[in-house]
Amino acid sequence: MTRRIAIIEDDPAIGANYADALSAHGYTVQLHADRGSALVGLRDRLPDLVLLDIGLGGDPDAGFALCRELRSQSATLPIIFLTARDNEFDMVAGLRLGADDYVTKSVSLPHLLARVAALFRRAALGTAAEGGEETLNRGALTIDLKRFTVRWNGRAIDLTLTEFWLVHALARHPGHVKNREQLMAEAHIVVDDSTITSHIKRMRRKFTATDPGFDCIDTVYGLGYRWRSTD
Amino acid sequence: MAEHGLKPPLLPAIGLRGRIVLVALVLLVIPWAGYSYVSTTEQLLREQQERQLAAAARAIAAALHDRPRLATLQEDSPDGEAARAEVRSLVTGIARAGLRIWVVDNRLKLIAVAGDIAGDAAASAGAETTFGVLERAVRAALRPLLARWLDAPALPAEEFIPDDVIFGGREVERALDGASAIKRRPGPGGSAPIVSVTQPVWIGETVAGVAIVEESTAAMVSFRHRAIERLIAVTLVAFGAAALVLLLFASRLSVRLRRLRDEAEQAIDSRGNVRALLSAGSARDEIGDLSRSFSLALNRLADTNAYLENLARRLAHELRTPIAVLRSSLDNLRLKGLPADSTVYLDRAEDGLRRLDTVLTRMAEATRLEQTVRDSERERYDAAEVLAGCVAGYAAAYPDRRFELQRPAEPVMLNGAPQLFAQMLDKLAANAADFAEPGTPVQIALVMRGSTAVLTVSNRGPRLPAGLQLFESMQSAREKQAPGIHLGLGLYIVRLVAEFHRGRASAADLPDGSGVQITVELPTLVVD
Repeated sequence: MTRRIAIIEDDPAIGANYADALSAHGYTVQLHADRGSALVGLRDRLPDLVLLDIGLGGDPDAGFALCRELRSQSATLPIIFLTARDNEFDMVAGLRLGADDYVTKSVSLPHLLARVAALFRRAALGTAAEGGEETLNRGALTIDLKRFTVRWNGRAIDLTLTEFWLVHALARHPGHVKNREQLMAEAHIVVDDSTITSHIKRMRRKFTATDPGFDCIDTVYGLGYRWRSTD
Repeated sequence: MAEHGLKPPLLPAIGLRGRIVLVALVLLVIPWAGYSYVSTTEQLLREQQERQLAAAARAIAAALHDRPRLATLQEDSPDGEAARAEVRSLVTGIARAGLRIWVVDNRLKLIAVAGDIAGDAAASAGAETTFGVLERAVRAALRPLLARWLDAPALPAEEFIPDDVIFGGREVERALDGASAIKRRPGPGGSAPIVSVTQPVWIGETVAGVAIVEESTAAMVSFRHRAIERLIAVTLVAFGAAALVLLLFASRLSVRLRRLRDEAEQAIDSRGNVRALLSAGSARDEIGDLSRSFSLALNRLADTNAYLENLARRLAHELRTPIAVLRSSLDNLRLKGLPADSTVYLDRAEDGLRRLDTVLTRMAEATRLEQTVRDSERERYDAAEVLAGCVAGYAAAYPDRRFELQRPAEPVMLNGAPQLFAQMLDKLAANAADFAEPGTPVQIALVMRGSTAVLTVSNRGPRLPAGLQLFESMQSAREKQAPGIHLGLGLYIVRLVAEFHRGRASAADLPDGSGVQITVELPTLVVD
């Protein structure tokens, strides 16, 4: 069964390019240019993944509204915000609305395909009970590289894909300082420095929500961040 | 602006207030007009007095004229004595206080005198006043001045019979010749002048004697003095009142204008940010108009500024979509598998695209930075520790550059955002490393000066360019050929971060001119 991806993008050229690339990789793609047609097209059957532009037509926030509506229909549907905007506020707003990832349109197609594939893997394996072989254990931290899930003291931490990659990049070599450029490269994101800072802040918050004593993500001023080994 | 600007004023500047009060000097017309009115009135009174005296003299002369016994006036006989007594009783009957009557015969022998010149002058002394205390004060103050100005020079006290007047005066001679005359002479002891009228007394065809009627002008002088005193009091009151009103009016104008000026000066700060005028009030006068039109002009300027500020951001945003089209098209081309000799063009196109993307990111960076700084949360942190961490990192980031750090042993607690402080250090270090001469170290020092933490970053190298606003956005002193893309945001970030910490940044040449030092002063006692 081929996976169905809905692209909701008002620029026909970008939409067609993404559709072509995704089709070439074996996905079934349906393209919508505005919120109305997307709602109609997705009403009967939800796709397996949605690529969502924030500004649609004249409405600069149509994507946010659509994201809310889709999330209300399915809690597990993977949603990636795809936008020309690259400011932190929009990113935070998008992620708060339940999007799984947020990429700017300057992302390259191979990166986009990698994210789509990763999200599908997470969606497919996330429901399966079978234990992953590819795990990374760092004290209380367990990273499942197949499901793209992170556990802390055995409890799942709900991270976005970008955050997952950031945690993975840090925890792979505990004690090593990763600078922002390295983190961006490993998380396949193209944003400015301050976005990394806010990603890190949000990750810390998610961990401390589970364990108030969490302090494994260290800020090394002027250099970057490192994972503090708890062993 | 100053070098080819305004000529220095020739006269010392007089404020609006002073000028308007000067206008009140127009009121000085009041005493002038009043003085001429008083003079005219005085003239009239004087003529009237003279006419009255002349009439009295004529009446006496006429009364004496009909007495046949007067022919014996000069005789040293009982008849003559009786005639003289008759004259005396007549004269005494006519004389009154203030009016003195003399009668002399044609040999200038005094026959009768009656009345007293002094007397009614005192009547006017306690006259009522119009302005009460003020007028009395003016009178007291002006008395000596007026006395000197208006009164005749003081003469030795007049004897009972002023010989020179009666016997040596031309008036008496003229009367003896048959003509009446009027004379005015200074009063005794500097008191008011005395008016005297001489009238011949005819007996038959010969002048038998002269009747002299005298009266003091004290009443008139006193009237004149009081009029002038009152006039001065009126002028002072009017001038004072007018000056006060004008002063209040001018002060109000002046305050409003000054406030408008201050606001106009501060409306555009050194960064070119335009603030609205507060006093663009509803005053329905020229100042209100000025303020409103100024406000309007400023608003237009602010709109333009906002438009320009947004332009870069909007441009960057608008260009992202076509870039995304290009990039996704190129990626698709690559995925299609082009022949090897074509991929080189693909690479070049992608490289160009990447550069374009970087430019766009930088263009929008200033606005984004401002937003980031604005949205940052404050916390207390040790700046010395952040500084040490950062400088340790620079050794790796700039392998061919030496960084010399001087930091205090104790913590330097700042209230702000450590990541912003680190970002500021990054920019300062990058800036210093770029400009430093090869082989020379970059010196970074953090010292406490009172309650202020002073961070200095200095490097040897070219001096500061004159006239460049280093800490503004889009200002760069770099050579055009410098590698990489520099839109001059580095030091702008420094300023934003310094201001976020309630501090300030400044740049100066090193004292020996061998390089540049950038100083950031950050208060440690900021309490929110």
